[in-house]
Formats: sequence, C-alpha cells, structure tokens
Amino acid sequence: MKRVFIALMALCLLAGVPTLAAADSVKIGLMGPMTGPWASEGQEMKQVLDLLAEDLNAKRGLLGKTVEVVSEDDGGDPRTAALAAQRLATQGIVAVIGTYGSSVTEATQNIYDESKIIQIANGSTAIRLTEKGLKYFFRTCPRDDEQGRVAVQTIQKLGFKKVAILHDNTTYAKGLADEAKGLLEKEGVEIVFYDALTPGERDYTAILTKMKGASPDVVFFTGYYPEAGLLLRQKKEMNWPVPFIGGDATNNPDLVKIAGKDAAEGFYFLSAPLPKDLPTPEAKAFLAEFKKKYGNEPASIYAVLAGDGFRVISAAIEAVKSTDPDALADYLHNKMKDFPGLTGTLSFNEKGDRVGEVYRVYKVDADGNFILQP
Amino acid sequence: MEEFFQQLTNGLAVGGIYALIALGYTMVYGVLKLINFAHGDLFTIGSYLGLTLLTSLSLTDRLAPAAGVLVLAVMVMGLVAVVGALLERVAYRPLRQSPRLSAVVSALGASIFFSNALMLIYGARFQVYPQGILPKVAVNIFGLYVPLVRILILAASVVMMLALYFFIQKTRIGTAIRAAAIDQDAARLMGIDVDRVILFVFLIGPALGGVAGLMVGLHYGQINFTMGWVYGLKAFTAAILGGIGNIPGAMVGGILLGVIEALGAAYLSIAWKDAIAFGVLIIILIVRPTGLLGERVAEKV
Amino acid sequence: MMEKRTLTYLVLGAVLALCPLVLNPYWTDVLNNIGLYAALGLSLNLIVGHAGLFNLGHAAFYAVGAYTAAILNTMFHIPVLALLPLCALTAGIFALLVAKPIIHLRGDYLCIVTIGVGEIVRIALINNIFGITGGANGIFGISRPNLFGLVIRKPHEFFYLIWFFVAATAFFFHRLENSRFGRALNYLREDETAAEGSGIDTAHYKLMAFVIGAAWAGMVGNLYAAKMTIISPESFSFWESVLMFTLIILGGSGSIPGVLLGAFLVIGLPEVFRGFTNARMMVFGAAMIAMMIFRTGGILPAKPRRYILPGREEGQGGAA
Repeated sequence: MKRVFIALMALCLLAGVPTLAAADSVKIGLMGPMTGPWASEGQEMKQVLDLLAEDLNAKRGLLGKTVEVVSEDDGGDPRTAALAAQRLATQGIVAVIGTYGSSVTEATQNIYDESKIIQIANGSTAIRLTEKGLKYFFRTCPRDDEQGRVAVQTIQKLGFKKVAILHDNTTYAKGLADEAKGLLEKEGVEIVFYDALTPGERDYTAILTKMKGASPDVVFFTGYYPEAGLLLRQKKEMNWPVPFIGGDATNNPDLVKIAGKDAAEGFYFLSAPLPKDLPTPEAKAFLAEFKKKYGNEPASIYAVLAGDGFRVISAAIEAVKSTDPDALADYLHNKMKDFPGLTGTLSFNEKGDRVGEVYRVYKVDADGNFILQP
Repeated sequence: MEEFFQQLTNGLAVGGIYALIALGYTMVYGVLKLINFAHGDLFTIGSYLGLTLLTSLSLTDRLAPAAGVLVLAVMVMGLVAVVGALLERVAYRPLRQSPRLSAVVSALGASIFFSNALMLIYGARFQVYPQGILPKVAVNIFGLYVPLVRILILAASVVMMLALYFFIQKTRIGTAIRAAAIDQDAARLMGIDVDRVILFVFLIGPALGGVAGLMVGLHYGQINFTMGWVYGLKAFTAAILGGIGNIPGAMVGGILLGVIEALGAAYLSIAWKDAIAFGVLIIILIVRPTGLLGERVAEKV
Repeated sequence: MMEKRTLTYLVLGAVLALCPLVLNPYWTDVLNNIGLYAALGLSLNLIVGHAGLFNLGHAAFYAVGAYTAAILNTMFHIPVLALLPLCALTAGIFALLVAKPIIHLRGDYLCIVTIGVGEIVRIALINNIFGITGGANGIFGISRPNLFGLVIRKPHEFFYLIWFFVAATAFFFHRLENSRFGRALNYLREDETAAEGSGIDTAHYKLMAFVIGAAWAGMVGNLYAAKMTIISPESFSFWESVLMFTLIILGGSGSIPGVLLGAFLVIGLPEVFRGFTNARMMVFGAAMIAMMIFRTGGILPAKPRRYILPGREEGQGGAA
C-alpha cells in the first residue's frame, strides 16, 4: 500500500511540475470529448485547432511567440470535464476553446471564470449559459432560442400545419424542442406529437409507427445526426413519405451515409452556413488545407465553430497586444465587429453570445449534397 | 388494431437481436457463473469485422448476395470466436478460482478495453455498411407491412437458437457442457475436460454475439464503437428475464423484452420506454425470482 | 502489530492532509474526486463487501441525495451542508421502499434489479419527474457550502471538507464492521442458511445494510452537489455504479484500506493516463484486467476475522 501510495504521489508531483515551465509560447486550451460517445466531435475539434495553430505559427505566431494548443479530454461527462478544466487552468492557458455539450460546459464555467480564463464554447447552445453574466464566457454557436425561431419560420414558410416534434432528452435537443413548441403554439400551429427517443439505439420503428399514427405534415427532429440518419432510413423502409426537418446537430455528412442517399433526399436542416457556402477566402483556404492535411473535409460544423473560437481569440490577442483576460474580454465584447469567421461574420454582444443571423436552411439533394436554400 | 400488430412485429425484430446476444450471455453464465460484461463488445467487434470483410473482400459481388452473406457470417463467427477464446484465456482463466466478482471486474475492464481499442483502430466516427446488400423487399402479411429483412433476422435467431439447443442436448460435447454447468468438480471426476468445455463455450457464445453484430450492421447500417454497452445491457436483461443459464429462456426473454419495449413506447411513453421495460422486469422477478422459465443451473452455495 | 498498522495509517493520513499545500488545484481536485468515490465505495462496501449483495445501482441513491440537496437548496435556500441529514434520510427511505420487495432475490437477479432501479431513477430525472428535477438540464445554481462563515469554493478548501467526511465515513464503517451487526452480515454472506439457522433474521440484516449504505451514498450526493454547483442526470448513469463497484472489488472487497486504495486507482489512474490522450481509457481497461489477475482477491483484501481464545496466545477464529 505504502509503495503504491508513494508511486502515486510521485506521479502527482511529476504531473504538477511542467506547469512551471517558462512561458515562451502563448497557450490556448482545447477542452473536448476525445473519448466516449462524442469522441468524433472532440477529435475533429483537435484536428481543426492543430491545423490553425500550425498555420499561425508558420506565418507570424502571436505576440512574437509561438502558439501552443493544450488539449484535454472532457469525456463528454460533467465530472471529467470539471477535472479537465482544473487541469487546463493550471497550465497557464490564456483562453480555452470548448466544449460540445451544454451541461458539460456548464460544469466548467465557474472554474474558468474564477481563474480568469476566457472560455469560447463551440457547441453549447443552451440558453442559460450566457444568462449568468459571466464576464469571460463566449460562444461561437448560436443559442437554442435563435434556432427555434428560425425553425418555426421555416416550418411556416413551407406551409406545414400539423407538426410532430421529436427530441432525444439531451439538454440541447430538449431545449430546442421546447423553444420550437412554444413558438409554434403561439402561432397557432398544431403540435400532434411531442416525445423523446433514447439516443444510441438502432431501431426506431416503434417510434416511427406511433408518430405515423398521429399523421403529422412534418416531423421536426431536434436530436443528433446518428439518430436522424436511422430515422430517415427506417421511415423510408416503412414507406412513409413525411418530410423531416432537423436541427443543426443533424448537420453532418455521415447523416447521408447512414440514411442512404435515397432516404436522405429531401431532408431539411438548419445550420450555420457550411464553409463551402461561404464566399470568403478564409473559409475556402481553410477547407483546402484541412483536406490536404487530413484527407477529408471536416464533418462536423461544431469543429469548424471551434476553429472560429480559436481564430477569434488569436485575433483578439493580436489586437490588444497582451494576454490580459480583462482586456481580451473587453475587446471581444465591445470592440470586435464583423470578424471574418469560417462560418460567417462574428461579433459578440455583452452576454458573450454571437450576434447576427447565423442560421440557414439546407436541403439534401438526390446525390446527398447539402444545398443552401434561398 | 393494425398499429398494435405493426408494433408487435417491430418488437419481434428487435427482440430477435436481443435474444441472439442473450444466448451468448446465458451460455457463459451457465458454465462459469460469470456475467460476461464484455459480451456486448464482442458483438460490436463482430459488426466491425463484418464491415471490414464486406468492403475488403466484396464477397457479395463475387458470390450471389445470399451466399456472400452466409460466407461472411461464417467468417465473422470464426473470428469473433477466436477473440472470445483469447479473452477467456487472458482475462478469465486466471480468475477461475477466485471470488466471482473479481471476474466481473475483469470483464468490465475487457469491455472498456475492447470498445476503446475499436475507437483507436476504426476512428470515433460512425461507420456505415454499404447499402443494398440485403433485399429491401417488404412482405404484406394480412395487411401488415413487414420488411423481409426483419423476418429473416427473426428466423435466423430462431434457427440458431434451435441449433444451439440441439447441440447442447444431443451431442457429446453438449452433454459435457451441461455436466460442467451443474458441477465442474464432479464433471472433472467423470473424466470431462472442463477447460475444453469452457473453451468451447467461449467459442460458441462470442460467435453468436458476433453474428448478431453482423446482422445489426447489415440491417440498420450504422454502427459505433459504444453500441455494445447498450445492447449488452439489454441482452443481459433478456437473459435474466428468461432465467439465466437457460437457453430457451434467453430466447423467450429477448423476444419478450423487444416486444415490451415496442408496446411500452407505443401505448405508454417513448421517453419512459426503458424504465417501463425495467419496471416489468422487476415485477416479473418479484413474482418469479428466477426468471420466467427458471434457471437450469444451481448457483454455488 | 496493530499499533504499527495504526501508525502507518496516521502517517499516510498526515501526508494526505499536506497534499493540497504542494499540489496544484488540478491534482487537489483529482484527490477530491477520489475522496468522493472513496466515501461512495465505503458505503457500497457495506452492501457488496459485507452483506454480499450484488448491487450495481448504487448511483440511484447517490442521485437521490444529490437531488434532495439541490432542490431544497435552490428552492428554499437552505444551506447545503445543513441538508446532509435530510439527504441521508431521503436516500435511506427510498432504498427501504425499493429494496423491501427485492431483497430476497439471489445474486445476479438482485444485480439486474438494482441496475434497473438505477436506470429508472436516471430516466425519471431526465423526464423531469414531478416537475422539480429540471430534466436533462439538471439543477444549477446550488450555493457553495458555508462552514462557520467560511465559504468553501476552491479545490483545496473542498479537499479538507471531503476528506474529513471520508475519515468520518471510514471510522463509522470500521466501528460498524466490528459490531454485532457487522459480524452478522459477514455470517450471512458466508453462509446464509447457517446464519438463518443460528437465529439471524437474514432479510432484516440485508435490508438494514442496504438502507445504511444507501443513506450514506445520499450524503455523498449532497457533497457532490455542493462541489459541482450543478447536477444533471448524466452524472448518475449506470457507469457511475460500475465505477463504485469496480473500485471495491479492485481494492479488496470488505476491507476499508482496500476500498480507499481502490478509489485511488479507479478515479486516479484515468487522470494519470491522460498522457495517452485518446488511448487513455483503453490503457485503463487493460490495467483493470492486469490488476485483477495480479491480485485476484483485490489488492488489499480483508483479513479473515481472528479471535483470541482464552488460554491461548492467538487462536483460530471460531464461527467467522
């Protein structure tokens, strides 16, 4: 027991030492799910940040120093995330990018705030994260209420009268579903079905059969792409031609792979504009480089949003010429206007939310491409 | 009423998969009294191996689709059986004489190891089976619309269950497995090579799990390195529901669990579906403490 | 002999108490997590290690305690630590209601039922049962614990609160182990029929073990809620129950030092393995198997009870 304990203590000390290393680089943290069910998101976030940092270092670095990305695994779980945040906070980072899930982000907000580290979340859309008045918290993704509003607009524009809403009981999907439900009811649109599926399963025919019984004009699914793909596929197998609309978590090319092109055709989803649809040279150059380095285009929009977080903070550091968190926060809140991001122009309001119209409507065509709707 | 029967068929198809995985659980449990928590991950390995073999050998193009799938199934069964036997050798055999719960922890460790190893090998993204291997035909049974694949899955599970049942009941090695299940020491005294029996069990159980993984991949298309955990838990529930260690029990339990889930989702609540299934399980166990069909093995006292 | 062991523990305790002074906040927080799981492990150890009940749903009681604290704190602004007894009470009553009809189930049947209870609780929390659990969002804005005017917020402050609680837990379960109650539990774990034959009301004792263990987990839930200030259903998944169970068996079922060591390994190792980045959980899985094979009965297994018989220096234990 004693030996084990001493060994553990030694490990603790060893792991504690590197934090004292000289600060000849600017450190940006990345907190993302590198293991667990959302590992693909976190690993791609890391790819994007590694690429951007490499790029920046090749050009000019930051403040005459090199940029270093320090990444930690949050496992997609609040407790692990709190540890990851403590660990990042001790490593002398200026800012942290991440993370994906809203409740995971929430478990870390206080830790970063108390350590005066700027946090730029990339996938946490729950409304209340920015309602607490935290000075150092920002996010590059829009909020659920914004997305709910666009979803309701879209549903009305397409002329649907009876709507089924299906979510998956995650913070994000439930938030979006509630938001949309409230707005639709206010507009006098009938909600004929409202329930949650269990994510991570393979067979959703029982749910589809039940939903079919309620005969909706359209199904609004607010969950994630693996389930959306299966729903589309199984709906097709059932010969049920109802149109589907998805939230921005369904924006992933793997959706088409899972559903198959014929089943995915005609699927609408909301999303921040994809890099390929942005005319900016930044987005085009980024896509080309990403493809060159990793062999494919980024699959997840959230990874790209993490990239925007990184670009925003490095631009801020250059602009204020320091890594002082108060100056940086002030710059991001008040001075940065219409920064040319990979996902469109970026500015933040006093709460740290991204301002401006972000969402677009996309439709999947017969070849499985995502086509921007006018 | 039509919706009821539709939901019933939905439940039967899901239950068929549960049953197939539960068979492996129950076999291992019958002989070793071990809850093999890594069984769900052997199932996942089966579906990943199936995908690799399918895309790299393009069997279904060279042979007729039916023959191709059959050859594929045999190959997956063989490979997963080898993994199962290795697992037994490395993680379970050293623990055979130690407290039962130690082996459970070893099994949990193996489960973590396998799922994360799959993530490292194949990447964290969802993997997708190519489409159009199984016929997308639907059969019309009394006005009910049932995809042919679902009938095939159920039929395949039933066939394998029956084959396993006769194998255990009628063959020499089957008799040895039953003997070892009742009392390993007595079986050893009767000249049965218990190590060989256990090896056999760890070839058959994982093979069934692996082929279930292949079926899930072929039918649902989308596979993921974490899916074994959910399926494993469901299959374990099914095995207990029917009476663990009991082969027809695993079949009954699996199909029943699938049906309870589908009907619970249809008539009570989708969001509470799993809670309903567990609630039913608990009530059944309160009334029948050793599962529906009872267990066929005595726990060591 | 006894004295030497006590001394070892005292020294180890003193070293541990000095840790926050030399460790950075991250490693201190790792120790806090270890402390929470050590307390959870000790509470589950009474059920699994001593009574021999295969419980894989302990997170349910942990959750009941955490939610009791969170709900009462955010709605009525009762200080979190003042809710400790109430958390124990709600978790204990819940365990009593749940366990009463199922306690007679044998081994693995009990295991699946406890898994079921854990999952039902989690699903109920996600579906915002009674409209008070906040659904998938959980409950946020739980106030920091306040001890005699000192607000506890930093990891090294929590360290002393949590490890004081762990020490109290270890002391309580140590006393319980060596009481009539603890001996009765061990008896029925080793041989239920014989225990019943000797006049031990087995169902009653099992139930008591279950309720005490659950009540204690409820208190740990309170501390967890106070530490995180936000709780959500995903913190109480089946996986948490598995972790608690694993640390007991790995460390040594029925042995308090074993359970403490188990908490260090199960919670600490994944942190130590962060250097392996994406492979860290795979390495952890392999380490679990290796440790189990290396020490099949756990790393620090419980020693069989020994009794000094009159007239002999050191005698063989009678009825265990």
